[in-house]
Amino acid sequence: MHRHDVVVVGAGLAGQRAALAAIEAKSDVAIVSKLHPLRSHSGAAQGGINAAIGKEDSVDTHIYDTVKGSDYLGDQDAIEFFCREAGPTVIEMEHFGTIFSRAPDGSLARRPFGGAAFPRTIYAADRTGLALLQGLYERLGTESFTMYDEWDLTSVVVHEGRCQGIVAFDRRRGSFEEIAAKSVVLATGPCGRVYGRTTNSHTSTGDGIAAAYRAGAALKDMEFVQFHPTALLESSILITEGARGEGGILKNVNGERFMARYAPHVLDLASRDVVSRAIITEVREGRGFPGPYVHLELMHLGKEKIESRLQEICDFCRTFAGIDPVTQPIPVMPAQHYMMGGIGTNIRGETNIPGLLAAGEAACVSIHGANRLGGNSLLETLVFGKQAGIAAAEHAARAPAPSVDPADVAKDAATVDAMMRRSDGEEPQHLRIAMQAAMDSKVGVFRLPEELTAALADVRALQTRYERVRVVDSSKSYNLNLTDALETGHMLDLAEAIVVGAIARTESRGAHSRVDFPKRDDANWMRHTLATRGPSGPVLSYAPVTYTRWEPKERVY
Amino acid sequence: MKLAYYPGCVAQESGKELDMATRWVCRHLGIELVDFPNFSCCGSGFIDEANSILNVALNARNLAIAERAGLDLLTVCSTCQGMLTLANRRLEEPATKARVDGVLAPLRLSYSGKTKVTHLLGVLVDTIGVDALRSRVVRPLQGLKVGAFYGCHLLRPQSEMNSESAEEPHSFEDLISALGATPVLYRGRVMCCGFPILFVKEPTANRIAGRQIDDAKAHGADAMATPCPLCHISLDSFQNKAEHEVGHSLDMPVFHLPQLVGLALGASAEELGLPRHLVATDAALAKVARVAVPT
Amino acid sequence: MAASTTSTPFEVYRFDPSKDSAPRYDRFTLDLPAHTPVLTALLKIRTENDPSLTLRYSCRSAICGSCAMLINSKSRLACQTPVGPELARHGKIVIEPMRNQPVVRDLVVDQKPFWDRYRKIEPFLKTDARDPMPVGRENPMTPEQVDRFHETPRCIACAACYSACPAVEADPEFPGPMALAKLYRFVVDPRDKDSKNRLVRIQPEGLWLCLRCHLCTEACPKDVRPSERIRDLKEMAIAAAGVSEPGSRHAVGFKDNIAEAGILNEFKLVRQTYGPMDLLRQLPQGIKVARKKPEILKKPDPIEGLDEVRAIYKALDPDAEDR
Repeated sequence: MHRHDVVVVGAGLAGQRAALAAIEAKSDVAIVSKLHPLRSHSGAAQGGINAAIGKEDSVDTHIYDTVKGSDYLGDQDAIEFFCREAGPTVIEMEHFGTIFSRAPDGSLARRPFGGAAFPRTIYAADRTGLALLQGLYERLGTESFTMYDEWDLTSVVVHEGRCQGIVAFDRRRGSFEEIAAKSVVLATGPCGRVYGRTTNSHTSTGDGIAAAYRAGAALKDMEFVQFHPTALLESSILITEGARGEGGILKNVNGERFMARYAPHVLDLASRDVVSRAIITEVREGRGFPGPYVHLELMHLGKEKIESRLQEICDFCRTFAGIDPVTQPIPVMPAQHYMMGGIGTNIRGETNIPGLLAAGEAACVSIHGANRLGGNSLLETLVFGKQAGIAAAEHAARAPAPSVDPADVAKDAATVDAMMRRSDGEEPQHLRIAMQAAMDSKVGVFRLPEELTAALADVRALQTRYERVRVVDSSKSYNLNLTDALETGHMLDLAEAIVVGAIARTESRGAHSRVDFPKRDDANWMRHTLATRGPSGPVLSYAPVTYTRWEPKERVY
Repeated sequence: MKLAYYPGCVAQESGKELDMATRWVCRHLGIELVDFPNFSCCGSGFIDEANSILNVALNARNLAIAERAGLDLLTVCSTCQGMLTLANRRLEEPATKARVDGVLAPLRLSYSGKTKVTHLLGVLVDTIGVDALRSRVVRPLQGLKVGAFYGCHLLRPQSEMNSESAEEPHSFEDLISALGATPVLYRGRVMCCGFPILFVKEPTANRIAGRQIDDAKAHGADAMATPCPLCHISLDSFQNKAEHEVGHSLDMPVFHLPQLVGLALGASAEELGLPRHLVATDAALAKVARVAVPT
Repeated sequence: MAASTTSTPFEVYRFDPSKDSAPRYDRFTLDLPAHTPVLTALLKIRTENDPSLTLRYSCRSAICGSCAMLINSKSRLACQTPVGPELARHGKIVIEPMRNQPVVRDLVVDQKPFWDRYRKIEPFLKTDARDPMPVGRENPMTPEQVDRFHETPRCIACAACYSACPAVEADPEFPGPMALAKLYRFVVDPRDKDSKNRLVRIQPEGLWLCLRCHLCTEACPKDVRPSERIRDLKEMAIAAAGVSEPGSRHAVGFKDNIAEAGILNEFKLVRQTYGPMDLLRQLPQGIKVARKKPEILKKPDPIEGLDEVRAIYKALDPDAEDR
C-alpha cells in the first residue's frame, strides 16, 4: 500500500502541471502513468498554443473566438478565466525553458489558426507539444515527488462519498496496488482510440474517464467529438492546422479551392468542424479523389518555409506516405482528433465526487463546448492542470486520512484473474477493432439516427462479449495483453456514452452534426449533456450553459 | 589514372607498410601517384575538436594544392578521407568559405571546391571495378575468411561523407570477394575501433577494439582488413592490450586494405611490409599459400 | 489505393525472464505492402498471431519515442521504418530489443540507466537570482539564437542513439549521446546562467569518451545529430575550461604538434598527452611497437610549405600567439 496527499494519474502536460502546482502548495505528490512522462500524447501536439499577446489582439477577442468556436456551448465564465490566464501561462512556460519559435525582434512568434481573428498561436516549429512537454518535465524534474511509471489505472476508489485513492496495476512487477490519497487528479487524456481512424496515440484509451465514470462521476458532453480535417490518408497521422495557418490550401479533384463555398471569408482557416464537413461533402458529391481523399497543397509556400516551419510534417509525409510536400500535394481526410467531452468539472477541476479532480482532455470544464479551436487544447492542459493541482492540494490539506479497504485491490485482482483463467473467450484486440469499425462508420462527421442506433447495438453487443474477455498471456511480467483487456473495457463504456449522447441530442451544433436535425436548436439544446452510469448504461441529465456577455448568434466564417 | 597521393601521417611513419602496399598495388594497376611533399596532416579529428575552423582551413590548403595541380586526391586512411571530405562540405557554407578564403589569400592560395577526395577503396571498387580487379588476381585468396573493418570516418556521417550506407555498407566485402576470399559479415565491421580515446582512456579503447575483433572471430573470420591505419593501430598494435581487456587470446591478423589486394595480385609478404605487424599474419598467409604465384 | 503485398518473414526476439531460461526467435510471415511500418506489422502479429508479444509503442508517428528497437541490427523506431527496404536488403526482418539496456521482456528494455545518465547532466534551466528573468514577459531570443540549438529540441528521448553507441557499451562513465546533446541544448540557451560551469564539469564527467564514430547520428530518427553537437561541446569546453583532461590535452596537443612540422610527431604526441607516470606505464608497449616500427621514435622532417601552415595557425588559432 502506498499513501500520498495527492495522486495525479497521467503525466502529460495537464498531469505534470497539476503535480507541479500541488508540490508548490506543499503536498506530498505522486504521479501514476502508463507511459514515461516524455512519451505522453501531449508531445504529439503540433501547431501551437493560443495567447492574445499581440498588440492588435485582445483577451476579449480570444474569448469571443472561443465562445463562437464552441457554438455557444462553452461556459463563458470558464472561457473568460481561461483566456485571461493564457498570456501568463505561455510566459511561465517560456521561463521554465520551453524553446519557442521567435519573431525577428526576439518576441514569441505567432501564426494564424482556424477560427481566430488574429495570429494568436504561439509555436515551436510544428512540435509545440513536444517543446512544452520537455520544458515542463525539465522544470518538474527539479522538484521531489514519487513517480509510478508504466502503471495502469484500474479503479478510482470512492468510499463514504469521497475519493480515497486509486487501484493500479504495476506492469513491471505484475501486481495490483492501492495508492491511497486524499485527492486524486485524473489527467489521463482522451479516449480517441474508440475510433480506428484517429490522430490519437494507441494509448489514448480514456482509462481515467472510464474509471471516474465507473466510480460515479458524471461525464459531460461526450457526444462532441472533433474530427480534424487534415489527417494523412491511411495512417491518420495528424497534419497540423498550422500547415493551413502558414498558407496551405485544400483542393478537390477538379483543382478547386472548395473552402470558398463553405467559408467565403476565412476559407481554409475556418473552424475545424466546418472544414471537416466541407471535405466530407466534397467527397460525397463526387469531387474527392478516389480513395477517397482531398489534397492539402503546400508547394506554393516554397521549400525553405515548408522545411523550417513544418519540419515534422515534412518528415511524416516523406516517411509515412512517401510524399514530398515541397513538390507534391498531401492526401488528407478528416479523422477523430479530440474529445470536447470528458469528466465534468468546474473551473477548479473538481468533479461531483469530493477529492476527485480532472484536467486536460480527460476533463470537460467546458471551454470548448461543441467544437474546440486549434491552439486552445495545449493551453487548457496547462491552465486547468494548474487549477486542479491547486484545488487538489487545498482539499488534501483539510481532508481526513484516506480510508482504504483490502477489498478494493482484491476486486480488481479477481476480475483480472478471471480473464486470465478463461480457457476460451474473446480476444480484447478483436473486440477493440470491432468497436472502432462501428464508431468509424456510424458515429462520424455527419450523424444519421439509424446509424447511431445501429452503433449503439454494436457497442452493447461488444460489451456483452467483453464479459467473456480472455487474457491469453499468462506472464506476470509486463503483460501487455492484460493492458489490452483493461483498455478495451474502458473504451466500450465510453463509446456507449458517446453514442447515447449523440442519439439524444436532436440538433446540430459544432462537431455534432445530425443529418435529420441540421439546425442548431438553442431553445431546447443550449445545455450540457451529463452522463452517469446506471445499471443498464448511461443515464442522461442536462445542465445549463453559463453565459456572461456573449449572446448566441449564427456562426459564420 | 593519375591522382594526387595523400598518404597521411601514419603511412609515412609507423604505418609505413601501408604506404609500401599502396605504392605496390597502384604501380601494378597502372595508377600513377603524384607525391606532394607540402601536404599537411588532415587533423585526424582531433584538430576538429580543438578548433574546427582551423581544421577546415588546413585541409582547404591541402585541397587547394591538389586543385592547383589539376588532380583529384587519393587517400588511404578513413580518417584522412573523412576530414578532407568534411572540409569540402563545410566550405559549401558561405560564411566558412569566406573566412577560409581570407586566410588562404595572403598565402596566394585559393580553393574553388573542385578537388574530389576518394579513398583507395572507392578507386578500386568504383573506378577500376570489382570485375576488372578480379581479372588481375593471380593468387586468389581462396579459403581465407576476411572480416572487413571500415573505420568510422569513411562512412559517417553519411550525409556529409556522401558515402554508401553508413550502417550496412558492402563495397569492402565486394572487394574481398573479388580477391577470392570470403567476406565475413559481423556487426563490428561498421563499429568504432576505439582509437579516438586510446590516449584518453586506454582500457575502454582496448575493450572496444577487443569486442570488434571478438565479433569478427565469432563469425568465423581468419583475418580482418581495414582501410584505416588508425584502426590498424587499435586492432593490431594494441591487440595484446585488447586481449587483456576481453580476457582471452584473440590472435587475429589484421591487414591494411592494399596489403590484402597486393597479396591477391601476387606481391610478397615483404613487399607489403607484413613482417612489420605486431600480430603475425603467417597463419592467414598459410591458408592462401597453397595457390602458387606464377612468376 | 490498394498496394500490392509481399510475403514478409519476421524473426522476433522473445524472452520472458520470469518464465524462459533463454531467449528464442519466433517466426511469423505476413503479407504486407512495402511501405508498411514495422510497428504496424508487429501490432498485426499481436492481433492475429500472438497477443503476448510485448513491446512499447504509443503515438505511431515518431514523436513519443516509445518504439525504438533493433531492426535487422540497426537501432530504429519501428513506427518509422518501412518493411520494404529491409526485406529487399536482408530477405527477412529480424526484430530485437535495443542494445545497452537490460531486457525486461521481449522488446521492452529497462531504460533506467539511460534516464540516470540523462539526469546527471542536470537537464533543466539554471537561473541566477542576481540576473532574473523579465517579469510578466518572455526572455527575448532572436531567431538566430534559436538556430544555435540546431536540431537538439527535436530529441524524443527514444534511446536509439544510446543503443547504437559503442562508448555507452564499453564505459559506464560515458553520459551517452542523448544526454550530451541535451547538455548542448542547455549550454547554448541564452536563458541558462550556468553554461560555463556545465562545460567545466562535463570534461571530467565523460565528454571526452565520445569516439566521434557518428553511429548515434546515423541511428537518430529525428536528425538531432548528437555526435556533431558533442564535437561542438568539446570545442566549447576547451574554450571555457582549457585542457583539464587527457581528452582535451590530447586534442590540443595534437593541434600544437602539427604546427611544428605540418605532420605528426608520433612520439611527441604520446609525451604531450601522458604525464610522466602514464608514460612510464606505456614503456613496455612502446618498446614492443618500436621494435617492429622504429619510425615511431623518429622526429619527422617538416613538410614543404610549413610557413603556410604556420600562417594559417597564426590567423585562426588563438593559442598560436603563445608559441
